[in-house]
Amino acid sequence: MRRLLHLGAVASLATVLASALAAVLAWRYGETILPFAVTSAMPQDGGVADGVYTNAYFGLSYPLPKGFGEGLAGPDPSQSGYYVLANLVAQAGGAGTILIAAQDTFFDKPHRDLAEAASEVRDTMAQIEGMSIDREPAEIAIGRRPATRPAWRVDFNGVGLYRAMIMTEMRCHLLSITLTARDPQERETLAQSLDRVSLTARRDPPVCIRDYAGGDQLVHKVAPTDIMPSRTPIPARIIIGSDGVVRHVHVIRATNAQRKGIEDVLRQWRFKPHTINGRAVEVETGLALRSGGGKVTSTD
Amino acid sequence: MAKRTFASACSLASMSAILVASVSLPSLAPAQGRGPTDPGVRGGAAGAGDPITGLSATERAFFEAAKDVFAETDGVPDGLGPRFNLDSCLGCHSQPASGGSAPAVNPQVAVATLLGARNTLPSFITANGPVREARFVRNPDGSPDGGVHALFVITGRSDAPGCSIAQPNFAAELSRNNVVFRIPTPTFGLGLVESTPDSALEASLAANSQQKRALGISGRFNHNGNDGTIARFGWKAQNKSLLLFSGEAYNVEIGVTNDLFPSEREGNAACQFNHTHPESPTPLESEGGASPSAGFQSDIALFAAFMRLLAPPTPASATAAVAAASPSSTTTGSTVVASAGSVLPAAAGTTSTATTSSTTSTSATVDRGRQVFANVGCAACHTRTQRSGGANVAALSNVTFEPYSDFAVHDMGDRLADGVSQGEANGREFRTAPLWGVGQRIFFLHDGRTKDLGEAIAQHASRGSEANQVIQNYNALSVDDRQAVLNFLRSL
Repeated sequence: MRRLLHLGAVASLATVLASALAAVLAWRYGETILPFAVTSAMPQDGGVADGVYTNAYFGLSYPLPKGFGEGLAGPDPSQSGYYVLANLVAQAGGAGTILIAAQDTFFDKPHRDLAEAASEVRDTMAQIEGMSIDREPAEIAIGRRPATRPAWRVDFNGVGLYRAMIMTEMRCHLLSITLTARDPQERETLAQSLDRVSLTARRDPPVCIRDYAGGDQLVHKVAPTDIMPSRTPIPARIIIGSDGVVRHVHVIRATNAQRKGIEDVLRQWRFKPHTINGRAVEVETGLALRSGGGKVTSTD
Repeated sequence: MAKRTFASACSLASMSAILVASVSLPSLAPAQGRGPTDPGVRGGAAGAGDPITGLSATERAFFEAAKDVFAETDGVPDGLGPRFNLDSCLGCHSQPASGGSAPAVNPQVAVATLLGARNTLPSFITANGPVREARFVRNPDGSPDGGVHALFVITGRSDAPGCSIAQPNFAAELSRNNVVFRIPTPTFGLGLVESTPDSALEASLAANSQQKRALGISGRFNHNGNDGTIARFGWKAQNKSLLLFSGEAYNVEIGVTNDLFPSEREGNAACQFNHTHPESPTPLESEGGASPSAGFQSDIALFAAFMRLLAPPTPASATAAVAAASPSSTTTGSTVVASAGSVLPAAAGTTSTATTSSTTSTSATVDRGRQVFANVGCAACHTRTQRSGGANVAALSNVTFEPYSDFAVHDMGDRLADGVSQGEANGREFRTAPLWGVGQRIFFLHDGRTKDLGEAIAQHASRGSEANQVIQNYNALSVDDRQAVLNFLRSL
């Protein structure tokens, strides 16, 4: 048993190190190695090393503000595809926190655009007793020039906590960074630290298509037979190659048995190649899987 | 079948002890210059235990009949045991009134040796500790267990001659780190919770999803495995209905088999003294009483009806504060001081000058505490209001109520994890504990590990918890604002 645990730990460590290395290399050398990184990494695989938070899945590298380090880890990915990617806190008695989170857009209420999502945040916060909106939602750019990325920011404060939420869209996820400080100046200092963020997008990322696996594109489907019945759908995300073969499966939240069963069969699914302007492209999509009587359905 | 008699002398003695203890709780004087201090259990009127307002005379009579059965003490001839945790519903659910949570004096200590029983008191059961049930995380072969292992046996009791069975070896299981605990959940207002449609709960959970997203919170419901609807009762929202909740507790906690759980958990024939099957069935003839319809109901139906018709706890702002205020009160202001466990709103024009402390609780600090509670994110899960749907009891229909819970389960991290899966809730997930009535609760968290509200809040943070950001926000507040939160909570 101990030996198994040990091997598991080594495997996990190797995954984290590989992801971190991929992200660092991507940050240093640009996009060339990212196709490998984005295919193998999971959204939750990021971590802090030498004062830099890196996440290979999102191609994100963030040199932390001085004095910041990792706080308590967040929960596992949720049933609705929500991830707490990093909880960064001021160390040694300092103030301020930075929460990096991601919401899989395949499992969320659809938003027309980032502006609408930011507006929803603003309205939700404004309804809380004692909360004031300091800065109406506005488009900003985050990241190192010239490779900045459009984002939306909304600031709010209440009971002596000054917060800002910055949102951008990456890899079919709504990536959010929530800054919390004890005064407006400190909040601004944290916001400025986002100028050092490196967001390295793949040159040809998979096309995000909601509900893709439930349509006519699916030409071959195998149902898992050994996963446990579940009333709550199991969220999974797949990348379909330009040849229609499933290249990557990520079961977001499930038991180990469910995860293995789903991974095994989804890799056998085949799709019609998706084309844009006559060129076959990769597709990334989500599936909500329900089990029961061996039947698996996409409910998206 | 359990006899429907009023509580025994033993039960009355226990209640007397509880009442005495309730009024003599030690003063929780604040430490000046340090962090905030839990004002302690709120004194004054219980503000709980009565039927919900608006019942008809017939419904009220039914409630009273059900309340009597809830208070009954069972002996072995009634079906108690052979393995059990206590001998009445009321024994566990009595703080601050019938239907509540664990009392200050643990009745399990007395019942361990009642009528000649020879039970060894497990180390985690103490006179001043919480009423507890024990679950084992794993079976001896390492597979998941998670079930309740009753603390006591009827062996040695004068009403169980010839029965010889042993208690589980709790000391050994404790040494294996294999025992986790649960304390009784309060049952006030649960008819409203039961009457809330799934759609209303789902809408409530989704309504503040943007706030949750900024706090690292997700949450999900524990769905019933049979019909797929939302289960909502119990520490992990594992029970679908009040009837199921009652039937399971009657069998698991008291050892009385019933229509929902008809099988004895202990098969030793020498320990079976009640030969009806189940021991507490639905009567085919009325047992009489002031409520003719109640006379036809099984015990578990009456337990469920009692909980269903219990009013929600009344927060301090609406209770009769004057009666509990200090005798040195004057009539010049609007401040009441929290001391020896009283956080009370002032009656108009009343000021208590009995004590001065940093836990001074005014209506202003309670209001501030409510605001802080919402601002830092506590209310993202401890959702203030819910609304019931249509119910066959008019008083429960379409009522907006304030349970301070979303009734969803959340990952609470390593520190609170108990390793027990129930339904879709895993070993780290717990239902958002409703906070209504928390002002008069003595023990907190699922296992009753603390009596201190501040410590209960702190325990929400650990590796993997959805509450980490909220607790970070809370810890960043001034002492006054953290104190206001505690005062607000003790006002509920």
